[in-house]
Amino acid sequence: MSLLELKNVYKIYGELHALDDVSLTVEKGEWVSIMGPSGSGKSTMMNIIGCMDKPTKGEVLLDGVDIAKESKKNLTNIRRDKIGLIFQQFHLVNYLTALENVMLAQYYHSMPDEKEALEALERVGLADRAKHLPSQLSGGEQQRVCVARALINYPEIILADEPTGNLDEKNEEIVVELFHKLHDEGTTLIVVTHDPEVAEVAQRTLVLRDGKLSKEIVNEHFTGKIRFDDQNPF
Amino acid sequence: MFGRMIRGTLVRQWKKMLMIAFTIALGASLASAMLSVMLDVGDKVNQELKTYGANIKVIPKEASVLSDLYEVEDGNAGRYLKEDELGKIKTIFWAFNIVDYAPFVNAKSTLDDGSEITVVGTWFNHHMDLPTGESLDAGVASMRSWWDLKEGSWLDEQAGESADCAMIGAEAAKKLGVGAGDTVNVSGSSADKQLKIVGVYDAGGEEDSEIYCTLDTAQELAGLDGSIDSIEVSALTTPDDELSERAAKDPSSLTVAQKEQWYCTAYASSICYQIQEVITDSVASPVRQVADSEGAILEKTQLLMVLITILSLIGAALGICNLVTASVMERSQEIGLMKAIGAHNGSVSLLVLTEIFITAIIGGVAGFFAGFGFAQIIGHSVFGSAINMRPMVIPIVAVLVVIVTLIGCIPAIRMLLRLRPTEVLHGR
Amino acid sequence: MKKRRMFIRMITASLIRRRSRMIVALLSIAIGATILSGLVSIYYDVPKQMGAQFRNYGANMILTASGDSFRMSDVQRARAVFDEDEIVGIAPFRYENVRINDIPVVAAGTDADEAKATSPYWAVDGDWFSVHGDVLIGSGVAESFRLKKGDMIEIAYTPEGSDESDGDDEVVLDNYDYFNVVGILETGGSEENYIYMSMEDMEALTQTEERVDVTEMSISASGDELSEYIDEINAKVPAVHASVVKRVTASEATVLTKLQALVLLVTIIVLALTMICVATTMTAVVAERRKEIGLRKAIGASDKSIIQEFMGESMLLGLFGGAIGSVLGYVFAQQVSVNVFSSSISFRPLLVPITMIVSIAVTGISSLVPIRSATDIDPALVLKGE
Repeated sequence: MSLLELKNVYKIYGELHALDDVSLTVEKGEWVSIMGPSGSGKSTMMNIIGCMDKPTKGEVLLDGVDIAKESKKNLTNIRRDKIGLIFQQFHLVNYLTALENVMLAQYYHSMPDEKEALEALERVGLADRAKHLPSQLSGGEQQRVCVARALINYPEIILADEPTGNLDEKNEEIVVELFHKLHDEGTTLIVVTHDPEVAEVAQRTLVLRDGKLSKEIVNEHFTGKIRFDDQNPF
Repeated sequence: MFGRMIRGTLVRQWKKMLMIAFTIALGASLASAMLSVMLDVGDKVNQELKTYGANIKVIPKEASVLSDLYEVEDGNAGRYLKEDELGKIKTIFWAFNIVDYAPFVNAKSTLDDGSEITVVGTWFNHHMDLPTGESLDAGVASMRSWWDLKEGSWLDEQAGESADCAMIGAEAAKKLGVGAGDTVNVSGSSADKQLKIVGVYDAGGEEDSEIYCTLDTAQELAGLDGSIDSIEVSALTTPDDELSERAAKDPSSLTVAQKEQWYCTAYASSICYQIQEVITDSVASPVRQVADSEGAILEKTQLLMVLITILSLIGAALGICNLVTASVMERSQEIGLMKAIGAHNGSVSLLVLTEIFITAIIGGVAGFFAGFGFAQIIGHSVFGSAINMRPMVIPIVAVLVVIVTLIGCIPAIRMLLRLRPTEVLHGR
Repeated sequence: MKKRRMFIRMITASLIRRRSRMIVALLSIAIGATILSGLVSIYYDVPKQMGAQFRNYGANMILTASGDSFRMSDVQRARAVFDEDEIVGIAPFRYENVRINDIPVVAAGTDADEAKATSPYWAVDGDWFSVHGDVLIGSGVAESFRLKKGDMIEIAYTPEGSDESDGDDEVVLDNYDYFNVVGILETGGSEENYIYMSMEDMEALTQTEERVDVTEMSISASGDELSEYIDEINAKVPAVHASVVKRVTASEATVLTKLQALVLLVTIIVLALTMICVATTMTAVVAERRKEIGLRKAIGASDKSIIQEFMGESMLLGLFGGAIGSVLGYVFAQQVSVNVFSSSISFRPLLVPITMIVSIAVTGISSLVPIRSATDIDPALVLKGE
């Protein structure tokens, strides 16, 4: 059974078909990019996969459960248990330290555990900045806190919405490298982006246009062990 | 463009602006209600204190020293006041402050059993049409509000059938064994009369052993046609201060300007002075028991209201300040953006200030009228009469709203000026 | 419990690190609480304090003899009926006809301090009598005898039983005494035609034993309480007859009721408006955090836990604000009392928890609405737009 399966999903706002008969599957451990110009329905799709919105029509099977039929409250629970979100705007609580922001996710999920949260920050290379407030961190660091927060509860899927949109090249590299690391560890990654460089490193890239899946590019060179400091395969 | 931006904020953020306007309206209504009540409370309480009865007593010049002292028999000693001058009391400078007055004439009379009784002639609800076009019902019916009517009714002078009617004190009624509807024979120094008792009162004082009848009846009994013994006046007065005390001690010590000021202030002593001017051969003096206590109570009430008003003004001011600060700070992102696309600090501040002030004016005007309403609620439910709106409340409230809103904007604007556009736009 | 620790950690982090906003909110709650506790204290204190002002009108109860006359011991027994702090003054009076230059005048013996207390409106030019041989004379007397402060007068008293009718064969001599005029009394009433001296001087002049004709009592108590006291005195002290001075008590009741109603209404209106002010501020403070609420929802917070956290924070603010407010309110009420009535206010411990509960309730309720509306919207919408 696939981890995520969208079957003939529509999202209609009045006249506008934000998603128009979209079907796709994502297997466990896969790294998929979703690309497309703005207005193509990327965000709508991301919201639906992220359990923050429901389709107008169609089935969205996450781990075999049709989230299109779930109540709002259950959606929150599913999101909490299965999905780790990474945003373009980082969205950290600005009066909590990096560590506390990570712990916040634990808190809503189960039990806050300071040691584990610190380990997560270590994985993203921010152990020494655990006690800093978001305003004291650089953009890249903030995004890494976001990553740490997203993976702290061992989600089934990490869903990243333009994770590098607000970052400079150097930080972008760091974040992409983090994704590689996560992928190597077997985490399912869905990255929504319009940056081809970020999209291309995934196993598969789906291109959305006017609410429809227009193209699917499979990265044949994908080895799963690529590092940016290695030879670029493209 | 400026106008367009402001209109845009007001229209699109109407919910937020409405909340600011609402808070400012609350503050302004609080301020205007409290100020109006505070400014009017003196008059209102003064009216209420009239239940204590007259605060000025007018007696003939000669009698002022002698009558009580020598307990001389009526008719012999001293002179009397003239009944036909009574109307003049309502023509003095402070006529408007004279709320009630009544003349008294005492007729020492003998009852059938030979015992003596004082028959007092007075006004009960004497109707007067004043030259100003107003009319006034004056007399003991309102000046003796503490009298308890035990039986029957108040003597109604305006009913026509009032001649030879009388009200009797509870003790005298008990002694004579009479009640409402009975008659009592009294013989005065110049006439005998059969008085018809219409009511029995309990005054809790000397009046309980006396009989009260109309002025004419008592004058006939005592043979004092057109004369009266004393006048009690109930006047709204200003509490005594240093000037009035000096004037009371020695009017000649005042300078012309001070004298003018004293004459034109409603002190008990200046009203007395003015009454003496119109009533021939009279001595008017404040009844200290009433006048002094009135002064003390008025002063305390006013001070109390002033302090409560100050507290609520401070509260209203801080409340408005707070909300303005909170809601301007909320817009840091929008303002960061404006600065990013090249707005100067000055124009940003001007925009924010203009928006807030338009909101403040709307809120302030609405609040002022609401406050006026609150004041009327207080006036009607406590004193049963409307609170007079002083024009001075309007500028005070306006200035208050402007200052408070400005102060509320200062920390917010300072914060906005410090904002660096990059910080705001790149996810805080 | 670990979860609770995180909860507390989050709330304290929010309170401390968002200091400026929190101070804004706290200030507003504290103002509301100050006004609440201050005005309520004043409202409860006004009848007492104003009642004391009304004692300016003089005695509200008098004792007269039920038989011929009564003695100081009866006055003392009547005095024992009251709480000592309710008594403003109890002044005994004894009236005698005396003569100055062979002209009859009414003289009264009394206790200077008590008379001062029962009749605060008496205006004395000069001093009250204090030592033997001092008299205070009414302004009417002063005028007719052309007397002024510092003059010496001779007061004569004709002993009882020496009336002209039976003075045929017995020669009864008048008692004489010299007195020093220490003050002139002005009241605007009949008191101006009397002369006042101490009870001891009166006894010495008349050479009779002590006697009281009338006792004026000024008691700070309401009309109902007064009538209870009257019944009690009439039952306990048979020699006297107690009655209220209706003119004073009835009028006091009317005016005092109005004044209290005024303060009550003012308190209610001020309180209502202040509470709404606090509520709008709290609403603004919470509404500002919609984005944060959306984020928390996105990372999996349930509505319930969000409401819990934000309410916890608001109510904590309410608690602190209430505590600050009850202290400031007491200080304010104290200031008012000292400035207006020159007496201190009694501290009402009950008002502290009430103030705190009310401010917690007001902040709680006023934050609940915006929190609710923030949890209702999609996290996606909140996170995307501003």
